[in-house]
Amino acid sequence: MAFLTLQLLFRRLVLAIPILLCVSALVFAILRLLPADPVGMSLPPGATAADYEKLKQAFGLDRPLFEQYLIWLGKLLSGDLGGSIFFRRPVNELIARALPATLELVSAGFALGVIIGGAGGLAMFAMRGGAGEHALDGATTIMMAIPEFLWAILLILFVGVSLQLLPFIGRLGPGIQLPPPVTGFLLVDSVLTGRWDSLRSALLHLILPATALAIGLAPLVMRVLRSSLLETVQDDYITQARLRGVSERRILLRHALPNAALPAISLIGVQGGFMFGGTVLVEMIFAYPGIGNLMVDAVRNHDLPVIQAVALVYCVLVLGINAVVDVAYMAVNPRLRLAGSR
Amino acid sequence: MMTLAARGLCVSARLAGHAVAVLRDLDFAIEPGKILGLVGESGAGKSMIGRVLARSLPSGFAVSGGSLDFHGADGKVSDLVAMDGAELAHLLGDRIAFIPQEPLTALNPLLTLRTQFGEHLARLGVPAGDRNARIIDALKQVRLSAPQSLLERYPFQLSGGMCQRVLIAMAFASNPALVIADEPTTALDVSTQATIVQIMRGLQRDHATAMLFITHDLRLAARVCDEIAVLYAGEVVERGPARIISQDPQHPYTRALQAANPPLRGPLTRLVTLPDQMPGLSALAGLTGCRFAPRCPTRDPSCAVASPELRLMAQGHWVRCAPACAGFRPAAPSIMRMSAEASASEPVLVVDTVAKHYPGKRDWMGRRGQGVDAVRTASLSVRPGEFVGVVGESGSGKSTLAKLIMGLEAPTAGRILIDGHDVTAASTATRSIRLGALQMVFQDPQSALNPRRPVVRLVTQTMEAARSCASDTERLARATALLAETGLPPELINRYPAQLSGGQKQRVNIARALCVTPRLLVADEIVSGLDVSVQAQILNLLLDLRTERGIGLVFISHDLAVVRYLCTRMLVMHQGLVVEEGETDAIFARPQHPYTRALLAAAPPDDLDSPWPPSGPAQETLDAMA
Ligand SMILES: Nc1ncnc2c1ncn2[C@@H]1O[C@H](COP(=O)(O)OP(=O)(O)O)[C@@H](O)[C@H]1O
Ligand code: SF4
Ligand SMILES: [Mg+2]
Repeated sequence: MAFLTLQLLFRRLVLAIPILLCVSALVFAILRLLPADPVGMSLPPGATAADYEKLKQAFGLDRPLFEQYLIWLGKLLSGDLGGSIFFRRPVNELIARALPATLELVSAGFALGVIIGGAGGLAMFAMRGGAGEHALDGATTIMMAIPEFLWAILLILFVGVSLQLLPFIGRLGPGIQLPPPVTGFLLVDSVLTGRWDSLRSALLHLILPATALAIGLAPLVMRVLRSSLLETVQDDYITQARLRGVSERRILLRHALPNAALPAISLIGVQGGFMFGGTVLVEMIFAYPGIGNLMVDAVRNHDLPVIQAVALVYCVLVLGINAVVDVAYMAVNPRLRLAGSR
Repeated sequence: MMTLAARGLCVSARLAGHAVAVLRDLDFAIEPGKILGLVGESGAGKSMIGRVLARSLPSGFAVSGGSLDFHGADGKVSDLVAMDGAELAHLLGDRIAFIPQEPLTALNPLLTLRTQFGEHLARLGVPAGDRNARIIDALKQVRLSAPQSLLERYPFQLSGGMCQRVLIAMAFASNPALVIADEPTTALDVSTQATIVQIMRGLQRDHATAMLFITHDLRLAARVCDEIAVLYAGEVVERGPARIISQDPQHPYTRALQAANPPLRGPLTRLVTLPDQMPGLSALAGLTGCRFAPRCPTRDPSCAVASPELRLMAQGHWVRCAPACAGFRPAAPSIMRMSAEASASEPVLVVDTVAKHYPGKRDWMGRRGQGVDAVRTASLSVRPGEFVGVVGESGSGKSTLAKLIMGLEAPTAGRILIDGHDVTAASTATRSIRLGALQMVFQDPQSALNPRRPVVRLVTQTMEAARSCASDTERLARATALLAETGLPPELINRYPAQLSGGQKQRVNIARALCVTPRLLVADEIVSGLDVSVQAQILNLLLDLRTERGIGLVFISHDLAVVRYLCTRMLVMHQGLVVEEGETDAIFARPQHPYTRALLAAAPPDDLDSPWPPSGPAQETLDAMA
């Protein structure tokens, strides 16, 4: 098992290299072909043409495109993402600050989506043929009919503004100090340093944006799980378990659910990748300081190094989540784990 | 004293507002230590009892009368139909156990044997610490070697026979009072069947378990059971001691069933067949009187009026028939063996030491896996009008050999000649030689027919080839002739495959292969999915084609009796090798190879006095194969 999992991860890694190279080259080329002038934008008013040339040289933007790419790539391999033109800071630092926020948000959204989707799918199956199923079915239709960003706005207006139940701006409430940085992850650091006030505040701030993200995933998981449960319970081993007197509850949870989960896991793998796309808007709407917001700022200011770096980070994240889902699939399905052995 | 008694059990289906009896007035009783066989063709209603007990009847089906009384050890009688679901679940798996038909799908694919067997033992109240030892002990009882090493295996890592042994071990783990085995050996090879039956019967005898043995195989039932009930279209048509039912049946259907089974020993006579097939649910709805009447060779007008009652013929022997009809037995004409001079002509097909190796899949680094030698070496030749059988178990390479002959796969070694022309290498020329001489009929009649084409276009499909621009009238005329030749009623010509029965589909397949007037048919397991009475029709059709067209046949089958009936020569394949070849009569009389001997020993002989399952060396070979 461990060996095959490692092999799978290794294969993923090997495949990731050309993908990342392609993506980075593509982003690089497109950005340079745009009629954007980051140098001009970052110069103070009244700068001379000589200042302009000097700055352009300093950023390396005077060299041929291919050379620029190789230089960027070389630095990248040594772990240096370059310097931000707009923020005047190393890109590494910007990303190191924003990425943990996004990861926390996506993990929370992902977990919430899977839990709601799984529980909802089971509930729909359990109430099959009844009014409950129709109600849940209607709920999934509504969830899917409204895009995530609109959900975000609706949640803010309803839960945040009208009911004033939950905060909806940023990661921490006003007046609450950041916990001392250990890992960069707010929740983890709060726990590690025993800062319960910041833990509580950060959790409350996560609820609405994570819910907005989860709404994109949950209804799909619900529907796939329901229909695959309906198919699975027709399987022979389910009838045989029943004929051995296994309780219905156990049949559902122990026998039907894991088998029915397989198609749902594949779906989660695909949808999990899309979820990162959703974070950009959701982070903007909730003023959540993640890489989505960083990206938006960078685009607004033609900050090429940051755009490149964040694009690459998104790509790595999507590949990473796919690998995680693959491993999960393998963990559930022994046929893959033991392929070839008989 | 009895364990299970069905009293007037009725199961009905709602069909367009009408209730149709799927099981009608089922009566039987099983005593401890006895085996009752429930024999019938597919669709007779055999599996309904299991579904009643699992409370998983298809939608629209319901028990509409009668009871299934289970007699507990404490003398308490409970009606399994009426009792509360939780109470029933209490009995299932503990006092009443099941052995399923498809062992490979009957176990959860995601859980190890230890987990699944452990779950069952936990349900039986075995403490966690004792479970491992109990599992190993139970697996030893079903003669699984190295049981310890099986514990962490998943079902897909085991063969069907091994899975079935595990399921038998689970069924007997609680020492149940009643075991219901629904076609427990149908999905298995013949050799495995013998071992499974032996294990099952051994456990049943040791524990004095009452057993309901459901099967479509009258010959097997005669071997396994004490008593047999023959089911036709939901009714028991005959019930009595196994020996009497199998050797001196009285009901016309039982007699037909017995006559449709080609014998393994003794002189061969042409099989007597019934017309059509068992009526489906919708056909039953419109049937009054005897349900067998439409196919009964001895019916008279009174049969359609009222449904006959079960009559007591002799001690314990019941027959559902009018008294006048019993005893009628048509004489069967003798079968003609092909004479020696007919086979003196030049062979149509020569397969010369061919081999086929499937390379293994490449892994992600480009390294090849081991691959499979599907056919290691095989030779055969077929003369015009000659029927050659190829027997062997699943995975022995029979289908691959057929594909090589048909040019669907290229051999990795050896030559294939048709009328003396070498057609080994694929080219336009060799393809047209093949097309003119050979046609193949496939195993699964369902998937071989395009569901969106009517019969007329299916059977004349080969006339669509670019060069033969046949008109619609020509095709219609040809199709009509082909239907007549294959015994299909002319009104089927515009039907679609979904509107045909299994036997009709297989006839359409054969008709299609005959369209180009081939001289040789290659048939891969074409009767294995059919009921015995329909199988007999197809076998006779093939014999007629030999007489009328002088057609040759390569007949691939796992069924020795069928090969003996049809083929003058046969090949025995085992693990990709032809281990024995010769005249069918000679091989049956004096098998040379140990594998052939084991295979012959594995088939239950017709003579109830010769011992089966076998013992001695044949048994050991079988055990090793299972
Ligand atoms: N296309 C294929 N690729 C790899 N292995 C195959 C293929 N077809 C058949 N085999 C293998 O070849 C062996 C013989 O198969 P087959 O010819 O189908 O036997 P049979 O007809 O007796 O069941 C089996 O082990 C089977 O798994
Ligand atoms: S009752 Fe008549 S139709 Fe029915 S089996 Fe007897 S003879 Fe045949
Ligand atoms: Mg085959």
